[in-house]
Amino acid sequence: MRLLVIEDDSLIARSLEQALTPLGNTVDVFTHHAQAREALQSGHFDLVLLDLGLPDGNGLTLLAELRQRGDTTPVLILTARDGIDARVEGLDLGADDYLAKPFSLAELEARVRALLRRSQQRADNRLTFGPLAFDATSGVATLNETVLDLPRRELRLLESLLLHAGSITPRETLENRLFGFGDVGSNALEVYISRLRKRLDGSGLRIRTFRGMGYRLEDAAP
Amino acid sequence: MSIRRVALVWLLGALAPSLAWGATPLIVEAALDRQVAAPLLDAFEAAYPNIQLTFRDHSTLEVDARVANEDNPPDVVISSAMPWQMARVNEGYAQPLESPAARAWPQWAKWRNEVFGFTFEPIVMAYRLDLARYMLPPKTHADLHTLLRRHRETLRGKVTTYSPLRSGVGYSLFQQDARYTTRFWDLVAAMGAADTHLEANTRSMLEGLSDGRYWLGYNLLGSYAMHWAQTHPEVIVQIPQDYSLVMMRMAFIHRDAPHPAAARAFLDFLLSQEGQRVIAGETPLFSVRPGVIGPYTAQRLRDQAGDRLYPIPLNASLLAFVDPARRAAFLERWQREFHRLSHPAPAQTPAATEPRIDKSSQR
Amino acid sequence: MIQVEGSLKARLAVWLVVTVSALGVLLLVEAYFSSQRAAERAYDSQLEAAALTIAEAVQWEAGQPVVEIPSAALQILATRHQERVFYAVLDAEGDTISGNLDMAIPPRWRHQVATQPAWFNETYRGTPWRLYGRELDSAGWETQDPVQIWVGHTMSGRDALTEALFEQAVTRFVIMVLVAGILMLLAMRVALAPMRRLRHQLRQRDADDMRPLEARVPEEMREMAETLDSLFTRQRESRDALLRFTADASHQLKTPLAGLQTTSELALKSENPEAWRQALADVHGSAGRTSRLAGQLLSLARLRHAEEQGTATRLDAVSLLRETAFDWAQRDAAQGHDIGLAALPEAPQYICGEAWALQELLGNLIDNALRYTPPGSVITLGAVCHAQTLEWYVEDDGPGVSAEVMARLHRPFERGGRQDTEGSGLGLAIVDSIVRRHEARMQVESAEKGGLRIRLLFPCLTRHEEG
Repeated sequence: MRLLVIEDDSLIARSLEQALTPLGNTVDVFTHHAQAREALQSGHFDLVLLDLGLPDGNGLTLLAELRQRGDTTPVLILTARDGIDARVEGLDLGADDYLAKPFSLAELEARVRALLRRSQQRADNRLTFGPLAFDATSGVATLNETVLDLPRRELRLLESLLLHAGSITPRETLENRLFGFGDVGSNALEVYISRLRKRLDGSGLRIRTFRGMGYRLEDAAP
Repeated sequence: MSIRRVALVWLLGALAPSLAWGATPLIVEAALDRQVAAPLLDAFEAAYPNIQLTFRDHSTLEVDARVANEDNPPDVVISSAMPWQMARVNEGYAQPLESPAARAWPQWAKWRNEVFGFTFEPIVMAYRLDLARYMLPPKTHADLHTLLRRHRETLRGKVTTYSPLRSGVGYSLFQQDARYTTRFWDLVAAMGAADTHLEANTRSMLEGLSDGRYWLGYNLLGSYAMHWAQTHPEVIVQIPQDYSLVMMRMAFIHRDAPHPAAARAFLDFLLSQEGQRVIAGETPLFSVRPGVIGPYTAQRLRDQAGDRLYPIPLNASLLAFVDPARRAAFLERWQREFHRLSHPAPAQTPAATEPRIDKSSQR
Repeated sequence: MIQVEGSLKARLAVWLVVTVSALGVLLLVEAYFSSQRAAERAYDSQLEAAALTIAEAVQWEAGQPVVEIPSAALQILATRHQERVFYAVLDAEGDTISGNLDMAIPPRWRHQVATQPAWFNETYRGTPWRLYGRELDSAGWETQDPVQIWVGHTMSGRDALTEALFEQAVTRFVIMVLVAGILMLLAMRVALAPMRRLRHQLRQRDADDMRPLEARVPEEMREMAETLDSLFTRQRESRDALLRFTADASHQLKTPLAGLQTTSELALKSENPEAWRQALADVHGSAGRTSRLAGQLLSLARLRHAEEQGTATRLDAVSLLRETAFDWAQRDAAQGHDIGLAALPEAPQYICGEAWALQELLGNLIDNALRYTPPGSVITLGAVCHAQTLEWYVEDDGPGVSAEVMARLHRPFERGGRQDTEGSGLGLAIVDSIVRRHEARMQVESAEKGGLRIRLLFPCLTRHEEG
């Protein structure tokens, strides 16, 4: 994957480069608005990490230009400004995610992975998370390239979790997906979750329960 | 003169006014002797060649009657019968004249900016030189009274004055005389006793003096008398030394004047420096406008006669003179006084030939 | 933002002009009519005098009234203005004994005049006339019939006099207005002098001079001066608070920075990779704390900044709580704890507030709970509907605090009496600010399971307000 980092603070830029390169990415770093614009016009990138406070211009203008050109490259905004207005404006202009400084590198990596995965999914219509994959066209789920033979509801549950992989899937969403809008017992969902958990045993993945909120498909080893 | 020639003359006469292309007609009804006024009229025609002036000379009462003629109103009305002029103005027959000359005109010689006194004519006595052979000619009213009493028989039938009934001017003058002193009535009685002839105008009196019918005339218009005396040396004009009335000829533009612009031009001319100069220099009418130089100016007359000049005031009090009841009363008294001292056969006296006063024909 | 809306002088001037013009119109109308009345009185008395003069001249002769119109009467009638005049002397039958114009006197008027003299207005041949009639009981030897005397004249003198009187009134009025205007301007200058003095004093003031005003002001300006004074006082207090806060904040920031410095210095001097590792771990931890501290200081400053006020909107408190809980539950910092949601009301519950501030509020409460409870503690967020209020609560099953400490929890840099955690002590102070900003109430109490329970009670928007 080819990543573009636009960040004027050299310390952060270097950290980002060092953190993201080992994940199998090529990282280009630019510290100025003008250079970044040139790079964006000439080359293709899979993800842009954009710092809003650049010395020679507002990052939001760059973003607006990008989207105006019809370029759908995912953009992750990094900023020290944590006002909700700036966040909303950035998302309105077509940013895909937003990370306020200071952030931990682990969180950054997670976000980058999610964005790349989403863009990948958009590209090949496949949902993947680690060894787990789901082909939306054929409706076949695989684990480590092995087809998982799942009943219909478990398959839907897996699909929903995969869709939100890495973040919490609200329990209401899951219930609606599995049982429609009809009234169901409070632990009906839990039954299917525990069935799915058994199937994922030993795969390096797990389904974590968030009390009162929902479930999250995540790596087993935190 | 053949009929053809008469016809030709008539035709020319008829065409004459229309030959002057674009000329505005102007009709002036005046109680003003044409001969006396001729230089003034000529000067006007010279100054306004575009105005075709028609000047009609009548007696004062006739002029007054024509003012009320609804069908054929004149443009300008001039008369020496001041009360009648005043009455017509009061009735609304005049229109105001708004011009610098009118505004600058002395206040005592105009009323409502509608009627203007444009002459200043002293009232005089006149006598024939013959008189001086028999007696000292009168210089004052008192002198006249004395002469009439002392030389009644010598003067019988040789004295003349205005008829108050047939002349508006005469009536006004007697009214004015009567206002100043009650001894005036003694004078009237003395005149009656001397069988004084009553004439309708100054001209008749002057003619009588010249041809010897009369020796003494009282209350003549000074202007005419002086003009006459220039060519008739036998007539002597005397401005009374005690008091001398002054009469103003009053002119106004008729309310319904058919040619108002020409009428304004004419009246303005009468009041103008030029018109007044002609009056002062070429007529014996005496100019009113101050600053005019000439033999006949009000100022010169004042210098000569001093305080004895009594101009008949040009104001609303004149209206009283034309009040029918008052006029009737005055004329009645006039008759009574005139006949008081005369012989008991009033029918034979000249005064008795006067027609009875008829209220309907008073104006 | 100061918007200049006209000037006091202009405002006063406008009011002066408006009232004076309104008053002026009334006065002038009154002046016109009174001028007319005065002129009428003056000229009516002339008519009366003329009529009396004529009456003097009426005599009886042979059973007939006769009159010799006196010139003086006509001159009185004509007046200085040379009016056209009318007079008539009528006998008992209304026939004219003497008269000058054919103006007909209506019988109605004759009857009226029979009882007492009267004035009339009449238009004769297009010209307005003023007539006066009076009856005279004349005594003759044979008969004693009454005689009526009528006099009249045109009205140009009256008009001229009215005009002259009115002109005088107008002149007087204009002079009065001018004088009043000048006096008003002077009065304005005098009256506004204290304001000018105050302005001068304020202009001379140094930017950081917050002492109370020392100015003599009139009663009307006392309130303004006091308001200014109280503004200065508040600014002074606010500035003092800011200075205190900045000093505190600097101190707070300096401490971890000093730690970073000493740790990194020691590590650089050391040759031992194990020491480096330890130092780096310390540096990492301290940097995290420091940036969190900086974030909180920023939030607190922002909250105290007056300009940020007034952006409150109507929002759903339930979904806001849910979103914030989702957000925090997934953060790295929360992975050691059990953050959960209690059952929430089904329907949206609307309150009035600022989303960012409320998120900050919940975030701080959650963050506090995470920091002041041991790993594995259960933190539960919930929303409860009451009659007038909506309650948010955050409770934990940690150690809790003592009642004495609970009272001063919201003060900045207070750490619940503990120095052993990573907290800065700013969390609850921020929470307190936000709570006050939303006119909400915060209750800190011990939870059933022994931990701390913080309840936030927001006023609900009523149905009416929602519309």
